[in-house]
Amino acid sequence: MAFFERFETPGKVRDLPEAGLGAWNATVQAVFTEYLEDHPQFADPTASDLVDAATVPITWSAFPARLLRDATSDDQRWKQADGTRDEQDEYCEWSVERDGDGFITRVTFTSEVPEYWEHVAAQDREKLLALYREFVDEDTQEAELFDGDSYLRENPRNALQDGRVAHMIQGSNKLGAAVDLVARATILRERNGKPQTDPQSLVRCGGLGNELRNSDPQIAAAVNNAAAAGDVITLANPPGLYIDRLLITGIVAPDDANPAEFWHIERGEPGHVVRAAFEVTGDHDYRVGDLEIAGRKIAFGAQLADRVHVRATALIAPADHKPVSQPCKPRP
Amino acid sequence: MSVEITDTTCNAFRGLTAKDLDDGTVHRFIVGQDTVMTAFTADEAKAELGDPFATQLLLAGTFPRTAGDVLEALKAANPPMADPMFFVLGDGSQIPFTPETANVERSMRFLTALGHGPEGADVLISAFHPDETDVELMGWDRTRGGFNYYRTVGESTGWVFAGNSRHALTDPTQGKGPFESHLSGTLVMKELRSPWINWHSPAVNILPSAFSAEDPLRDHPWFTGKEPGGALTCETAVARPAIQRWARHRFAGIAAVGGKVDDPERILRQIVTMPSVNIITSHNVSADAPSAEAVEIPQTFFIDSSLAEVAGLNPPPPFNVTGTIYGQALETFDVTLSDGNDFSSPGDTHFAFCVPERAFEDQALLAEAVAAGLITPRLAACLLMTDFANPVFSTRRAQLLGPVPASAQITDGASSFSEEMANAILASAETSDDGSAARAAREFAARWNIGEDFKQAFDAELKAYFDAVAAKLATQEGFDSFVRLAEAHRNIVRGRRIAESPLLFATSNIEPVERTMNADGTVTEAA
Repeated sequence: MAFFERFETPGKVRDLPEAGLGAWNATVQAVFTEYLEDHPQFADPTASDLVDAATVPITWSAFPARLLRDATSDDQRWKQADGTRDEQDEYCEWSVERDGDGFITRVTFTSEVPEYWEHVAAQDREKLLALYREFVDEDTQEAELFDGDSYLRENPRNALQDGRVAHMIQGSNKLGAAVDLVARATILRERNGKPQTDPQSLVRCGGLGNELRNSDPQIAAAVNNAAAAGDVITLANPPGLYIDRLLITGIVAPDDANPAEFWHIERGEPGHVVRAAFEVTGDHDYRVGDLEIAGRKIAFGAQLADRVHVRATALIAPADHKPVSQPCKPRP
Repeated sequence: MSVEITDTTCNAFRGLTAKDLDDGTVHRFIVGQDTVMTAFTADEAKAELGDPFATQLLLAGTFPRTAGDVLEALKAANPPMADPMFFVLGDGSQIPFTPETANVERSMRFLTALGHGPEGADVLISAFHPDETDVELMGWDRTRGGFNYYRTVGESTGWVFAGNSRHALTDPTQGKGPFESHLSGTLVMKELRSPWINWHSPAVNILPSAFSAEDPLRDHPWFTGKEPGGALTCETAVARPAIQRWARHRFAGIAAVGGKVDDPERILRQIVTMPSVNIITSHNVSADAPSAEAVEIPQTFFIDSSLAEVAGLNPPPPFNVTGTIYGQALETFDVTLSDGNDFSSPGDTHFAFCVPERAFEDQALLAEAVAAGLITPRLAACLLMTDFANPVFSTRRAQLLGPVPASAQITDGASSFSEEMANAILASAETSDDGSAARAAREFAARWNIGEDFKQAFDAELKAYFDAVAAKLATQEGFDSFVRLAEAHRNIVRGRRIAESPLLFATSNIEPVERTMNADGTVTEAA
């Protein structure tokens, strides 16, 4: 008996017909299956009943924690984060649009995994092109997105930090990376006989990613904590990374409008948002760059990224595993 | 009710008992101004108190007893204050509860924020336990501005109004009672920046294992329902907005009286001296740090970040030390985390190298002063470049406060105050006196006289300093000198009200003497 029938698409978006949705399920199943043999406390919920399983949300900030480490000045870190998508490694990326005066007019956030867009490309090229034309640029040409038969994740339309993003491209921002992290974090770790449970220490000891990111240590610690109790852990359906919310407090509009009305959900069902934009719409005679956050005009998309929370949701089922801690992995 | 209290510290309230209050009554006891607590009449309370806690509860006859009661009453008020945010912190929150650590005083406490308009939370509730009667509360006064400070006393349902933010700024109340720790009158989140040591945060979680297995707080909704983003959310959505709200209100008040600044010295004091501090640490977990390739040392230990953020100078590079050097220093100086009683554990605080930095409330005020036109970036740069190697606790820089003009005028977003202030310092630099005040003035004058195009020269000075610091960090001897300096800074904080727990800093065998940094990266120890 399966806990659920099949893996849904991220955000439960319906870009493809039924056959395409089934194919996505098979793709994700293959990713999960890879870890089952070596990780007894990790499960494929489409093949396991997971009795009494409960969801546990894990959230973190979209702003890259690594950049907080080396910056004394907000301007310095915001500029660095806006400068290249390569820096945006918290399972959320953004791009900025400006007007002729340099004022920000829109910031687009995405937590869409590249694997899904590759899947759409493989299933239906016309649909892929339609998505680009709807969400990125209406002038997008099919030839820009492919190298022969291969879909280009970092194609000219998607690899920019200005304009509008299609999906994530930073090397760590993949569904496969999230599944890998959850599976491998089910293994308890110890150093010199001392359990490694602190988020940073655990990631470092288990070789679970970058201990200085927001996301990896948060996910690893939550999973590992459940594993220590003997539970079975996996990702809730639909597996993916989600834009949890934008903290509105402290954002002030020139006419005291509620800034929440400028936060537009563009893809993903409620609770599973994978694309959102901050843009002044309606009867307001100003731009995003005219709003203030904490007393400063919005001059960087990263000012909003500070306030965007990203979420993964673990699925934890009580079980009676008796895990034995493993020593730390040698660092490369 | 007639008990007389002459203590002017936070402890003044400890002289009160529940018997001193009338149940169901608001009292006034503003330390420094009052020596006897008095009950407000309904008219007095209505005239004085304009925050939602007062208007929706106290003035409407609702007198909650516990923090949880306050929350429920505000949620049931008309209009209701919904969507509370719960935050958890504790100086010993990373010490798991075991039989050996059962008696450690972890200082676990809750901050609950309600009302999240664009300007920030309107009500902030601080309590060690949601269901106990020891409650402190701040409410933004929508009529007069500023936060109103309240607290409970014992089991009484009476509440004490302990003052408004404005009382933090003037005699006879400034620095007294609640304003001994809320020095400029606003919210204190002393571990404001990442990685927010002591707070539940994305950087480190406060786990149920910090409580005993029998402690009902493990399953209390305030703990299980705490904000997942923890300190990150608190910093972004609660603390910074609250601090900036008060800073903006102060300057809005100046604008409302035609731009006349009656007491610029009070503003300058927050900019030049360090009345308040934040606590910052490395992002490295100390237990892992000795085996790390690089251990980050907070840049603000070496330089004031306002020089970059407000004055526009180049920010410093990252500063790191090898894990081997850091680990050796822990051994050399016998660094130990202790609660002052039975708990003692070799090593540093959870995150490495915990030190004070300039408080955000003072940075926010400087930013507002520049934005309002009272202070020019040039004046800010020249003030903060004086003794720049000592961003905190600089007695030399504090000497610049001597000749502050008695008043100032802001008109159309500009003021002659900066020129007047600079001229006053320049005049004091021209004396033949060679005392510390004159020397500080001459240092200021040398930079002021560079003129408006100061950036290149100042950046060059800072670059030489940063290079010297980096060179020192590459050697054991150099890093050890910084560890001694850090301990001198911690000793100053230990003497302040914000040091509420011995677990705030690790202890060491370092001699407790004053130390100062020099621009060449060396550290001078007081004789």
